[in-house]
Amino acid sequence: MSGLMFHGQAVALNEEGFLVDPGIWNEELALALAQAEEGLEALTEEHWSVIRFIRGHFEEKQGAPMVRAVCKATGLRLQRIYELFPSGPAKGACKLAGLPKPDGCV
Amino acid sequence: MSTELEQKLDTLTDADYARGLEVFRGGLKEAEASYLNACVRCGLCAGGCHYHRTEPELENVPGRKLDHIASVFKAHFTTMGRLAPGLVGAKRFDRDMARAWVDAVFGRCTLCGRCSMNCTIGIPLPALFRAARRALGAMGLVPEDLQATVENSLQHGNNMAIEREEWVETVEWMEEELQADTGDPEARIPLDKQGARCLFTVNPREAKFFPLSLQASAKVFWAAGEDWTLASDGGWDLTNYALFTCEDDQAAAIVKNLTDAMTRLGCQVLVIGECGHGYQSARWMGPEWLKQRFPFPVVSILELMDGYLNEGRIHVDSARNQEPVTLHDPCNLVRHGGISEPQRRVLRRAVANLVEMAPHGVENYCCGGGGGQLAMSRYRNRRLAAGKKKADQIRATGAKVVAAPCHNCIDQLSELNKEYQLKVQIKTVAELVAAALIVPTHSEVLP
Amino acid sequence: MPNQLFTPLGTAVVAAGVWAVAGLLVLRARARAFGSRQPFAAAAGDPAAGIRYAFTGAMSPGAKESVREHLPSYGLGLAFHGGIFTAFALLALSLAGFELPRSLWLGARALLALGAMGGLGLLLKRLLKAELRGLSRPDDFVSNLLATAFVALALVSPGQAWLLSAILLLFYAPLGKIRHCLFFFMARSHFGAFFGRRGVFPPGGSHVH
Ligand code: SF4
Ligand code: SF4
Repeated sequence: MSGLMFHGQAVALNEEGFLVDPGIWNEELALALAQAEEGLEALTEEHWSVIRFIRGHFEEKQGAPMVRAVCKATGLRLQRIYELFPSGPAKGACKLAGLPKPDGCV
Repeated sequence: MSTELEQKLDTLTDADYARGLEVFRGGLKEAEASYLNACVRCGLCAGGCHYHRTEPELENVPGRKLDHIASVFKAHFTTMGRLAPGLVGAKRFDRDMARAWVDAVFGRCTLCGRCSMNCTIGIPLPALFRAARRALGAMGLVPEDLQATVENSLQHGNNMAIEREEWVETVEWMEEELQADTGDPEARIPLDKQGARCLFTVNPREAKFFPLSLQASAKVFWAAGEDWTLASDGGWDLTNYALFTCEDDQAAAIVKNLTDAMTRLGCQVLVIGECGHGYQSARWMGPEWLKQRFPFPVVSILELMDGYLNEGRIHVDSARNQEPVTLHDPCNLVRHGGISEPQRRVLRRAVANLVEMAPHGVENYCCGGGGGQLAMSRYRNRRLAAGKKKADQIRATGAKVVAAPCHNCIDQLSELNKEYQLKVQIKTVAELVAAALIVPTHSEVLP
Repeated sequence: MPNQLFTPLGTAVVAAGVWAVAGLLVLRARARAFGSRQPFAAAAGDPAAGIRYAFTGAMSPGAKESVREHLPSYGLGLAFHGGIFTAFALLALSLAGFELPRSLWLGARALLALGAMGGLGLLLKRLLKAELRGLSRPDDFVSNLLATAFVALALVSPGQAWLLSAILLLFYAPLGKIRHCLFFFMARSHFGAFFGRRGVFPPGGSHVH
C-alpha cells in the first residue's frame, strides 16, 4: 500500500494508486491524484465533465459507467477521452474520480 | 507481505489443509505425478522466467517454485518423503508451505510456460502451478480481487458486470460509428442473428472502455461479407478468469455461456476475439471442463482474417500502416494455444514493416500480465518489474506500434508503455487490418 | 578380469540391479495409478509427432535458450551421462567375464574421464553457485557423489571398490532423484504429447496453410 500526501496528511492508495477509501474523495483530491498518478498538471473543463459524470454514476450505482455513457453525457468523442486521460478511462478517469479499480482485464 | 493473506492463514484449520491436499491430489494424473518425480533441480530453467530475468533470486527460479509444490507432494504422497524427509526435501503442508505456495504460484508466476520449453527434463511447470492454485482455492486463499472477477462472470454472465442494455447500447453505438466510417448505411453489427455462421465473442473490456477494437473487428467482417453475430445475452464475453483460479466447476459454468449461446443461436463456428486466455479457455480447456467434445470448431479471429486474406475475401494495402510494427506473442494463444503463424501472415500483408522481437513465437517472453496478474493488485509492483523484460524486447525492435492479439496483454503493455517510457502505440491485429483495408464500394458488398 | 558373477560382490551387484529395476517399476506403477486423461478437445496436431520432436529437436541448442546460454553446463551434463552409461556397459561386461576389445579401450577411458570431470564439474557448480546451492537438497549431492564415484572408479581402479560403488548407486537409484532415469522419459513423453496435440510441437507443424 502506498500513500499520497494531501494537506499534510497521508491518503491511503492501493498498490495501483486507487483510493483505498473511495468515500473520502473530493475535487481537490482529484487534482492531487491527477498530478501524482496521471502526470496531469491541471484539469480542464473537459476533464472535469468526465470526472464528475463518472463520480455521479458511481455514487448512484456503485460501479464504473460504460465509456458509451461517458461520451453521451459529456458530448465528447471517444478518441477525446483517450487523449484527456493517457491511462485510459479505467486506470485514468475512474482513478481520478475516486473509484476502486474496476474488475476484469484493466 | 499481504495482510489479507496473513489474516486468512490465521483462520485455517487442519481440516482446511486436509481439504487442500485432497483437492491437490485430485488434480493430479499420471502426467503430473511424473513431472513431480522428475525435476533434477538443475536450475537451468531460471533464465526462462521473466521474473528471474528481471530479478535474479532463488524464489524466482521456476524450479524453486516447483520445488515448493514437489516438497509437499513428497511428504504426503511418497514413501521416501515419509521415511527421509530431510534427505529428499519433503515438507508437510502447513502454514509456512501454504504461504510459500501462494507466493510462488500467485505472486511470482503468470503461468506462461516459458520455463517448460527450457526445462532440462521437459516439465510443463504450469500444470503443477495450476494444481497448487486449485488447492489454494479450496482453502479460500485465492486473492480476493481475482476471485471477484470470476464471481462477476458467474453472476452477470460477463466479468465486468455489464448489464444487457448497456452492452446492447454500446453495440448499437459502434454500429453507427461503423456506418459513418464505411459510408455504408447497411453496415451491421448483428445481435442475436439466428443461424449466423459465426458467433463472435469479445472481451468485456472492449465494451466497457475500449470499443474501437470491436469496431475494427466488425469492419473486417463487413469487408469480408461474413455472416456473423454477437449474442445480446450471456455468451458474448469470451473471458474466463477461472482459468487462473483453476476452479474447474466455475470455469465450466462460465464456458457454458458460450456453448449455450451457440446452441441458442444455431451458429456453426465459435469465433474468439483477440484474447489469449479466452482462446485457451474456449478452444482447449472448455471441452475438458465440460467433459464433452464440442460439436463445432472454435477458432480465433486471427485464423479467420488469415483465411479472408488468403482467399482474397479482403484486400489490404500495407502502405497504410507505414510505421514499424512488432508483434507480441500472448502465451495462452501461442505457447499454449498453437496459434503462431496466422497473425504473422496477416501482419506481413497488412503492415509495411514487421520487426520480430528476439526471441519470438513460441519462445517469446510473457508480457508479465498473464495468469491473472492484472487482477491481483497486491503483486502489482512485481508485475511491472517483471515486465521490464518485455519492455526491453519492444525497445530493441525500434517499433512504433506493438500488435498484441490479447486484451489482457494490451493492458499490461499499456502500463509498461507508461512505466518504461516506450512511446509506442498498442493495437490489436484487427485494428491494423481495419486501417489497411481496401474498402469495397457499396455495391460490391451487396450480394 | 574373470567372471565376477558368482563372487559375493558380483552377486550383490546383480541383486542391487534387480532392486533398482524393481524399485523403478514400483515407482512407475504408482505414477500410473494416478490415472490417465482422455482429452475431449479436438487435436490440432499429432501427439506422436510432438513426442518425437520432444526427444529430438526440442532438446537441441537451436530450440532451447537454456542450452544456448549454458553450453558449458550442457556439455558437463552430456559428458557425465556419457560416462555413466559407459561405466554401466563396462560393469555388465566385467560381470559377464568379457574383456573389452583393446581397440575400444582408449575410447572407453576417454568417456569415463570426461564423465568423471562432468560429474565433478556439476558438483562444484552446485556447491559454488549460491542460487543453485539454495535450490539443492542433500539428495542432489548424494546422487551426484554416488554416480561420480562410480564413473571415476571405473577409470582408476575397476576392482572391488568399484563394484561396491555400483551397489550403492543401484541401491540408491529408486530412492532419490536418480529416479529421473525413468521419469525423464515419462515426463518428456507427456510434455511432447501435450504440445503435439495443441499444434505447438513440432514447430510450424499445424496452422500452416
Ligand atoms: S510459467 Fe512463466 S512466470 Fe511461471 S515460473 Fe514459468 S516462466 Fe516463470
Ligand atoms: S530445468 Fe526442469 S529439471 Fe531443472 S530445475 Fe528447472 S524444472 Fe527442475
